[in-house]
Amino acid sequence: MDIDHDTLVGFAKSWGLFYFIAFSVCVMIYAFWPSNRKKFDDAKRNILDRDDRPWQ
Amino acid sequence: MVQQLTSGERQNALIILLCVFVAGLAMAAAGGSDPLGMHGVIVMLFGASLGALVMRSYYDRQPDPDRLSHYYDDPIKAGVALTLAWAIFGMFMGVWTAAQLAWPDLSFDAGWSTFGRLRPTHTTGVIFGFGGNALIATSFHVVQRTSRARLAGQVSPWFVLLGFNLFCILAVTGYFMGVTQSKEYAEAEWYADLWLVVVWVTYFVLFLRTIARRKEPHIYVANWYYMAFIVVVAILHIVNNLALPISFGQAKSYTIWAGVQDSMVQWWYGHNAVAFFLTAGFLAMLYYYLPVRAQRPIFSYRLSILSFWGITFFYMWAGSHHLHYTALPHWVQNLGMTFSVMLLVPSWASAGNALLTLNGAWHRVRDDATLRFIFVAAVFYGLSTFEGSFMAIRPVNALSHYTDWTVGHVHAGALGWVAFITFGSIYTLVPSLWKRERMYSPALVEVHFWLAVAGTLIYVFSMWNSGILQGLMWRTYTQEGTLAYSFLDSLVAMYPYYIARACGGLLFLLGAIVAAYNIWMTVRAVPASAAERQSDVPDTGLAPGAAATPAE
Amino acid sequence: MAELFHRKLERTAIGFVVAIIAAASVGGIVEIAPLFTIHTTVEEAPDMRVYTPLELAGRNIYIREGCYACHSQMIRTLRDEVERYGPYSLAVESKYDRPMLWGSKRTGPDLARVGGKYSDFWHVAHLNNPRDVVPESNMPAYRFLARTALDTGDLQRHLRAQQALGVPYTDAMIANAASDAFGQAAPDSPFAAGVTERYGEKTQVSAFDGVVTQLTEMDALVAYLQVLGRLTDAAYSNTAAPEQAPDPTN
Repeated sequence: MDIDHDTLVGFAKSWGLFYFIAFSVCVMIYAFWPSNRKKFDDAKRNILDRDDRPWQ
Repeated sequence: MVQQLTSGERQNALIILLCVFVAGLAMAAAGGSDPLGMHGVIVMLFGASLGALVMRSYYDRQPDPDRLSHYYDDPIKAGVALTLAWAIFGMFMGVWTAAQLAWPDLSFDAGWSTFGRLRPTHTTGVIFGFGGNALIATSFHVVQRTSRARLAGQVSPWFVLLGFNLFCILAVTGYFMGVTQSKEYAEAEWYADLWLVVVWVTYFVLFLRTIARRKEPHIYVANWYYMAFIVVVAILHIVNNLALPISFGQAKSYTIWAGVQDSMVQWWYGHNAVAFFLTAGFLAMLYYYLPVRAQRPIFSYRLSILSFWGITFFYMWAGSHHLHYTALPHWVQNLGMTFSVMLLVPSWASAGNALLTLNGAWHRVRDDATLRFIFVAAVFYGLSTFEGSFMAIRPVNALSHYTDWTVGHVHAGALGWVAFITFGSIYTLVPSLWKRERMYSPALVEVHFWLAVAGTLIYVFSMWNSGILQGLMWRTYTQEGTLAYSFLDSLVAMYPYYIARACGGLLFLLGAIVAAYNIWMTVRAVPASAAERQSDVPDTGLAPGAAATPAE
Repeated sequence: MAELFHRKLERTAIGFVVAIIAAASVGGIVEIAPLFTIHTTVEEAPDMRVYTPLELAGRNIYIREGCYACHSQMIRTLRDEVERYGPYSLAVESKYDRPMLWGSKRTGPDLARVGGKYSDFWHVAHLNNPRDVVPESNMPAYRFLARTALDTGDLQRHLRAQQALGVPYTDAMIANAASDAFGQAAPDSPFAAGVTERYGEKTQVSAFDGVVTQLTEMDALVAYLQVLGRLTDAAYSNTAAPEQAPDPTN
């Protein structure tokens, strides 16, 4: 195998971190995107509705 | 159960069961006197008895065509019953094994009943039997209610539920016979593992199709957790169990992973089984049954999203903290430690979110034992995730690893968090599922609650004590610089704690038996008329809008 | 139109699944992938031998009985462990272990270097009833092992499966698996010589359970226990010092 242990370890240590940061930025953007606010508020209230049938 | 299926669906069910029977026959023929052959017989019996059940009602009246405009609750009801049956079996095995550590002759000089063979029956019985059935049953309930859609299949929910239980049966009966891969929390052999893959893929497709049918525009966060549970468990299960059987007629196989790689794969699996089986799935229960029971929306929906991705991302790195100071490369150990500590942030975000949801409804926590189950679950979730991150720190792990502290930690999570949230969810679910006003006896729920609390505390405190004592004794030096205690000294010091632990476990088991009785009586009680019974949730005496105060 | 809307919904769910996989898989890949190249960095152990068929059968009994639930086989790099159990475990020592049996709990002591520490007779007595030898022990009694004949019929298949996975069993080892298992527990039999010929002079050949006429599961398990930590001497020539356990008082 050409790729040796140290290369893989180096790759894991650097790009793993970048991946993590990029991922958390995406999640933050999604969670705090202003137009998503209404969707989230509806979602958390709608489960308390009292009907017990699927919507047709 | 069969009455809800059309004749075409009954036919499909029979064809599937025939395939199961034939597979069992093939296993029995190929296996012969090997345990694989015995398992073939079990599979045949399983297929035949369910087949008989379908045959008995095969020519019954067709179901009401209106059925598709209702939620599909039959598999959930069966799932609740199976959850309780496995709870009692798994916890009983736990009490028995715990007692064997204090009184070793309780194995009665037989092979099948020694500690080593019984331990996986306990772990599989409670994690997969009790936990797994609870997850499947509640996921079917939650995904329908939050999506406002009926399950996307008539036979497949039964296939998932019963197929999963067949896996559990094969696993547990195998351990008694000595069939095990010895991979912790994944002991079942190759053929049971293959079967679980089939079941799990069906589960995944069913869940995804139900979500795709949803009428709500947004996928509620509880379903995210269920989805993560299903997807990631599939990945973990397949990678960890890759193995080469010595022949197709024998149960024994050799894993493709060797030595240090195997250690990493096993604990990558083992820790993420905790993460995605025992945490993600049960957080899904928390995010649905807590708001419903408390009749208050979750404190912060955004926080639940952030902690979801945090948990999904961080947990996967943390497995190597099970291998501190071992032959695993140092950098992997450090990586595992770092992420384990970071994991505390999303974990406490979830626990805090749950507790802040209850803030303002403390009187209901006081009066309603079911809500108190959920409350205690959130508290123990916070406690045991803190403890877990703490124990992942290398110097702490030097003391705690290999001792009963680990066992205490696992049970703080498994009893305090997993079992409490499950019972809280079941007590919320059962009256609504069977259309009853309330549980048969709220007093028995109260009794169960206090038995469970006492059992958990006794268990956890005795294991904390024994674990720390044991760890300290192993590393204590005399003034001359020699080890102060032999291993045997440390074992002798454990006996009082082992007895206390067995008592704590017994109390918890008694609680589960009380729960099963209470639920059985609730189901048997005369149903309230449909007109009286409109709502899916317990009546709190308040209009839903009035009770729900915005938290942000 | 309704059909299109439906497909859009379905897409969001699948996109969501992809996101879960993307988030969850990276940690495992980063930590596990480099371990595939670990052979370029771990210690060399040219003297390392494979398990004999009898020892392998014993190892499978160890697995079957769940011994790993109470006994670890991994001495950590801590001073007290090294003084109690012997040189700390090296990665290379378990390179033929499928699965590894490092364990996670020590209800009983670590067994990574138990080989040669006690006599065969002690092990047999201890397994028959631990409390005969160690009165305070809480280990189960394994009397049935001495009563149960070892199944040698499928040992060839075991070795062949291991060979297919990369363990260096030779074809001669596989062909003689059953007779080698018998020979290792019957020192005076004509089969004994083949064992040392194929697995090295250091291989212990003895009547493990004291009875040479019948090969039992007791023979196999004791043979396995006696080889633990003795497949290679690498750990004894390793010079790196163990770590001091952190002292809470300073």
